[in-house]
Amino acid sequence: MARVKPFTTAAALATFSADRHETAPLAELRQQALAAYPQLPLPTFEKIRYQRWPLFNGDLAPEQAANQTATPTSELATPLTTTDAADQEPAMIQQLDLQAPWVQLSAEAQAQGVVVLDFFQAQREYPELFAKYYGTLAAPALANRLAAFHTAAVNGGLLIYLPAGAKLTAPLTLELTQSGDNGQLYAQHLLLVAGENSEATILATRQTTTAGSASANIVEELILEQGAQLRYTAIDGLKNTTYLARRAYLFADARIDWALGEMNDGDIVTDFNTDLVGKGSQADFKAVAISTGSQFQGITTRLTNYGLHTVANILQHGVILSDATLTFNGVGHIVKGARDSDSQQENRVLMLSRTARGDANPILLIDENDVRAGHAASVGRVNESQMYYLMSRGLSKDLAERLVIRGFLGSVLTEIPVAAARAALTATIERKLIDGQRHRDRAQ
Amino acid sequence: MSVLEVRDLHVRVDDQNEHKEILKGVDLTMKTGEIHAVMGPNGTGKSTLSETIMGNPRYQVTNGDILLDGVSLLDKPVDERARAGLFLAMQYPAEIVGVTNAEFMRAAINARRPDDDPISVRQFIKELDHNLALLDMSEGMAERYLNQGFSGGEKKRNEILQLLMIKPTFAILDEIDSGLDIDAMKVVAKGVNSMRGATFGSLIITHYQRLLDYIKPDVVHVMMGGRVVKSGDADLARKLEDEGYTGLRDELGLDIQLTDEN
Repeated sequence: MARVKPFTTAAALATFSADRHETAPLAELRQQALAAYPQLPLPTFEKIRYQRWPLFNGDLAPEQAANQTATPTSELATPLTTTDAADQEPAMIQQLDLQAPWVQLSAEAQAQGVVVLDFFQAQREYPELFAKYYGTLAAPALANRLAAFHTAAVNGGLLIYLPAGAKLTAPLTLELTQSGDNGQLYAQHLLLVAGENSEATILATRQTTTAGSASANIVEELILEQGAQLRYTAIDGLKNTTYLARRAYLFADARIDWALGEMNDGDIVTDFNTDLVGKGSQADFKAVAISTGSQFQGITTRLTNYGLHTVANILQHGVILSDATLTFNGVGHIVKGARDSDSQQENRVLMLSRTARGDANPILLIDENDVRAGHAASVGRVNESQMYYLMSRGLSKDLAERLVIRGFLGSVLTEIPVAAARAALTATIERKLIDGQRHRDRAQ
Repeated sequence: MSVLEVRDLHVRVDDQNEHKEILKGVDLTMKTGEIHAVMGPNGTGKSTLSETIMGNPRYQVTNGDILLDGVSLLDKPVDERARAGLFLAMQYPAEIVGVTNAEFMRAAINARRPDDDPISVRQFIKELDHNLALLDMSEGMAERYLNQGFSGGEKKRNEILQLLMIKPTFAILDEIDSGLDIDAMKVVAKGVNSMRGATFGSLIITHYQRLLDYIKPDVVHVMMGGRVVKSGDADLARKLEDEGYTGLRDELGLDIQLTDEN
């Protein structure tokens, strides 16, 4: 393996920690990760060759960036609005680059003691949470080169803490924006801890304002304590070369419903992972993705049944235009001892051009007998006779294509339980498709 | 008044299945206010004619022209021809999952209207309900995915439903009667007859005279060997029913091998 030159020195990193008043355990972990990451192997994802991508680019700490507080700005994404619970104002969290977040909690969130803090401040105020959950269970800090690089370089982020028993009726919206063109590494961390029997809906959007050369290395770790119920919707529209880990760890009877829209414009390799550790825990994972232009999106989703009576479902549909690539890996793993468990998955990819490249790989790893498991996968093209039929009624080629695609992705969208999330995703899909078609039609 | 003209049309197919000239000089002129029928034995190019007029990219025009109100359609793709006023009720309509029938028909109607003036929901539903009733179709049909899981008869009715909703200038019906029982055929004919008028013309492709008992044509063309060999009024269809295609061929002294002839 090629030797990697560390991105910074131990001394410079210590100064970085000190400038941000980082706690001793985290500063030490950072040093450990800096020493370790060049030797660690890159994680492997089936059929996704990202090893040469520029995933370690950008400055750790730009001038004058530290400790600015963000103000809500109209340049950020239009907030996801919801009609699900009209009486409750949704809680709103915005964060631009490494700045401290702008947070406006709803009355119910405040009353129930929900905590949203900047990454560095959170370390100081909730050291016990960090000791227990930061880089330990959901996303081990030194698991591989990308994880360890993140641990060494993390330069911004958030803690969201839902106390035990908290029940939020209105969604918590998260708008996380990366400038993209300021040369700054975006090593953003989200630690979300859902306490016992808490319930919440998260509507997250991640986006990059302007494409640039700096990399993004984003890690979200979600801890669902016993009985916690989380509906987590994220729409990603990232433009730089990105590693995105979104990893959850479930205690007994916890349940997570994922609904993800991978609408990125840059190259991205994802590590979506859910560990169903506690007995009776459940994970339902749904994703739609669209690749356009010449981008590469490599999406690996792994759900592992460790506990008894655990249920894991994966449903991913994706569409590819132009010369783009989209690879879906679905990994369902039932470990020995996870009796009476269930692992199902469906991965489908639709290609709209001869030069599009796509893959849908279902991988089932079953080490226990008393289980149910199944998978379906397909890679197909838009049928010429379908296009001819639609166009013979006067629909333009682009509109006919969008209808076929909407139909194809619709089987995932209709399954998403949160109406606001469905609407937001549908709108984003339409926009991304129109952009992709314009780009293609100009190139022709 | 609009005019659809086919002039000395020669058409080839070249794909993995076939390499051959199918149409060998078809001439045909129809005007709005008229219903024309094209009859002919199997393999004589009737479907090729309808698909070529519509603009199916599978068929290559090697000579001749297709004109709508004097403007050639040959360099226009299928969607432009549709917006110019053509409609083809297909023998084998595609099935498309995830797109509802109603959503599709609205998109097709709006494709003919300015971007800032789509059909109102109220108006659309009014017309849809009226046409569903006319065709003895349940309201549920509109919310089903386009042709998905439709029976043969439902697909044909659905083609006619689209015809009634889109209201083209010229409609080509390609063997709309195939696989239909008498009752379904009557319903389909009722739909087409409801479109009759000064601003609508139709070209009905059929094997059998029976459909023409319900939709009375103004002109009947007989195709054999890739050409129109005889045109006449509705009586020509009845005569064919009695004498068969071989009778007409022999009467005209044509040297054409008919596909189904032993």
